[in-house]
Amino acid sequence: MYPPKLDKIISLFEMLPEVERRETLVSYADSAKKQEPRTGEEFDLEDVRRDEECADTVGVYLQVDEEGRAHFRMTLGPEVQTLTRAMTAILCKGLDGATPQEILELPSDFVTRIVGAELVRVRSQTTYYILTRMKGICKVYLDRQRQAAAAA
Amino acid sequence: MATQPTSYAHPEALVDADWLEQHSKDSDVRIVESNEDILLYDTGHIPGAVHIDWRTDLQDPVIRDYISPDQFASLCSNKGISPDTTCVFYGDKANWWACYALWAFRLFGHEKVKILNGGRDKWRADSRTWTRDVPNYPPADYPVPKKRYDKEVRAFADEALAQSKSEKPLIDVRSPGEFKGDVTHMPEYPQEGVLRGGHIPGATSVPWKTATNDDNTFKSPSELAKIYLEGCGLKQGTDTIVYCRIGERSSHTWFVLTYLLGLNNVRNYDGSWTEWGNKVGAPIEKGA
Repeated sequence: MYPPKLDKIISLFEMLPEVERRETLVSYADSAKKQEPRTGEEFDLEDVRRDEECADTVGVYLQVDEEGRAHFRMTLGPEVQTLTRAMTAILCKGLDGATPQEILELPSDFVTRIVGAELVRVRSQTTYYILTRMKGICKVYLDRQRQAAAAA
Repeated sequence: MATQPTSYAHPEALVDADWLEQHSKDSDVRIVESNEDILLYDTGHIPGAVHIDWRTDLQDPVIRDYISPDQFASLCSNKGISPDTTCVFYGDKANWWACYALWAFRLFGHEKVKILNGGRDKWRADSRTWTRDVPNYPPADYPVPKKRYDKEVRAFADEALAQSKSEKPLIDVRSPGEFKGDVTHMPEYPQEGVLRGGHIPGATSVPWKTATNDDNTFKSPSELAKIYLEGCGLKQGTDTIVYCRIGERSSHTWFVLTYLLGLNNVRNYDGSWTEWGNKVGAPIEKGA
């Protein structure tokens, strides 16, 4: 149902007691900076903007390889909240190698299983924001592919 | 021309980082971090600080209200806080939530409260000591408060309406766009379901940020007096109500008026715009 890498992360979080769940989220948040684009990398699509739903600018960079698999890079402004940073690292790793169509069709119910019902309840917009942005860039990519195919 | 104050009315309510470092291990001092970012404390905090979340710790999980006196006593006990403990609050966002937590503590009659000037950001910017170690204090004895001091520090919608009708001071601390009714939430913040924009009739717009310097510290006594006493005509003894969107930014201004300028009779309308802007029949003014 979920991409294999994401499935592993979900299973990990579901085994954790609440304190360790928070610690693991913070560890992922710490590693969010590693998801930034590296020198020389090229992308099929880039979407950098500041939305009302987020405290600072978030950049999403999508590269789709020859096998049609998606790879993401992300940039986060300094005011982006810790939970958003955590979800960035989790989703960049968990969705790496999935196809844009799989990502677009991904149900969002796994977010509660990773973050926990309590954090989702008090910060619902924060927890879903990054997934929404990643789905958004996949949709644009697929729309363009379809348009190109129709024009050919 | 009115004489400008040269010191805060209650200077003991505001401490700097040096004071906190000297007193952080005092047995009667507890450092309390309160943030908007729910996981920020877990990423690091001032050594010895405990975490109090404005929503999960201070608010009732079902009704839009605060916890009961029983629950407050339990919360304090678990954090090693007794009625004689001096709580020094600090946090992100220029101490919005620190001031909110302090105000909530006053709601239960806890009197020994202070704010760390400049909050979390200044402490970090000054490269002060930092840790991820979570302290574990023995439970303290905190008798259940006999009452909540709603009448003294808190205002409700009907009281805000009466304040408006009697043309007594109402300070709207939201951004100018929110006050004018152009937007119903701060830029970069979620829309929390408010149906109408504008402000309570007769309210004066004084955004919370007016009271702070660029490093999130509070402005000088004379600058604050100029803004609120001269500029808004606030006086000792006059009922004043402050409000914002959900009561956190107005807690910041409530702290300024109550502790730094020493005005009595200042209350925080914590229902704020998320209540007023949805309330059927509530009068609203738009524009500057």
